[in-house]
Amino acid sequence: MDRREVLAERPVEKSRGFMPGVSVNPSRVLFTAGLTGRNPDGGLVAGGMAAQTQRTFERLRAILSRAGAKFDAVVKQLVYVTDIEAYNASGRPERAKFFEGTRTASTGLVVRRLADPAMLIEVELVVDLPGSPSRTSLLEKYNVEDHGGDFHQGVIVNGGRLLYLAGQVANSPDGSVAGVGDWGRQAEKVYENIGHVLRAAGATPATVVKETTWVLSIDAWRRHGPPVRRAFYKGDFPASTLVEIPGLARPEFLVEIEVIAAVA
Amino acid sequence: MPFSTIATPEAKPVANYKMATRLEGGRLLYVSGQVAWDTNGNIVGKGDVRAQARQTFENLRGVLRAEGGDLSSLMKVTTYITRIEDFPAVAQARSEVFQGELPASTLIVVKSLFHPDFLIEVEGVAAI
Repeated sequence: MDRREVLAERPVEKSRGFMPGVSVNPSRVLFTAGLTGRNPDGGLVAGGMAAQTQRTFERLRAILSRAGAKFDAVVKQLVYVTDIEAYNASGRPERAKFFEGTRTASTGLVVRRLADPAMLIEVELVVDLPGSPSRTSLLEKYNVEDHGGDFHQGVIVNGGRLLYLAGQVANSPDGSVAGVGDWGRQAEKVYENIGHVLRAAGATPATVVKETTWVLSIDAWRRHGPPVRRAFYKGDFPASTLVEIPGLARPEFLVEIEVIAAVA
Repeated sequence: MPFSTIATPEAKPVANYKMATRLEGGRLLYVSGQVAWDTNGNIVGKGDVRAQARQTFENLRGVLRAEGGDLSSLMKVTTYITRIEDFPAVAQARSEVFQGELPASTLIVVKSLFHPDFLIEVEGVAAI
């Protein structure tokens, strides 16, 4: 809990209610999954962007609250929307009610599709938690809802060292692409690469904190990716986000996955 | 250095960037997605991805320097572009500003950024 706001007076960011940069002494850090406007039954809340934004931040508030934090501890937000006009008109004002005066580092993206085609917004947060690292475990993974999905809604890193991986794609060491046009093979290769890098850094799949999966087609990914992913994590899932976008660095790539892990 | 670089022969990067970085000490700085605007919020290089990339990386450097770091402090960058055909120009602008190897890196083509005139946005995490 040693938050420093960087270039707080820079007018462009100030007028938009965020901060160019936020730095912390990382002692306990919470990463949330990408949260959306789902109801407890799994369906989307009715009422469009305003209602989905409100519901998204209510759910994030519950995740923060479980970790003993409020929105004033948020360091970074990543907001994915499918309709920027709707977000500007009716999402932003709802978001502002939760953050009040707190300004976080922020990135906003317009993507092609989220988990459900009717989803308009998804938000993930990085949070600087109060308190000292517990000595019991490096990671605390938890859910505040019984969502039944293969992810945790919040993962706390208790001390330790954060590990940032480049986005991993289905490339072989010789530079060739494995599984051109083949979702299952690319999924295998991507997780194989993630495994190699984690091992080289002294981490394991169980110490992955946050995962972002960028795919060219959520429908195709859902047919081929989840079995490979489940075998990799063996039930010990990170906080995660799944987003559909129109392209990756090479036309052959169907999926790119980036992970943040922790090492004691 | 407040962070170390991880490399393994079994999984190699597809371009000139680090495969992974591990924080070893120091402060962690989260930098907002930077775009090509000047300090008054005017877009620099409308329609010109090369000019936008230069301004974007300048803005990124500005945030890092304000906290006592520089581009070399970055552990991870994520570059979002709106048109894949812009990637070569972005890659070139990027290698002009980074000395040597890039940080751990992700490149994503998104549908758009939060204003239709922006062609590139770059966010990063740095150890300082």
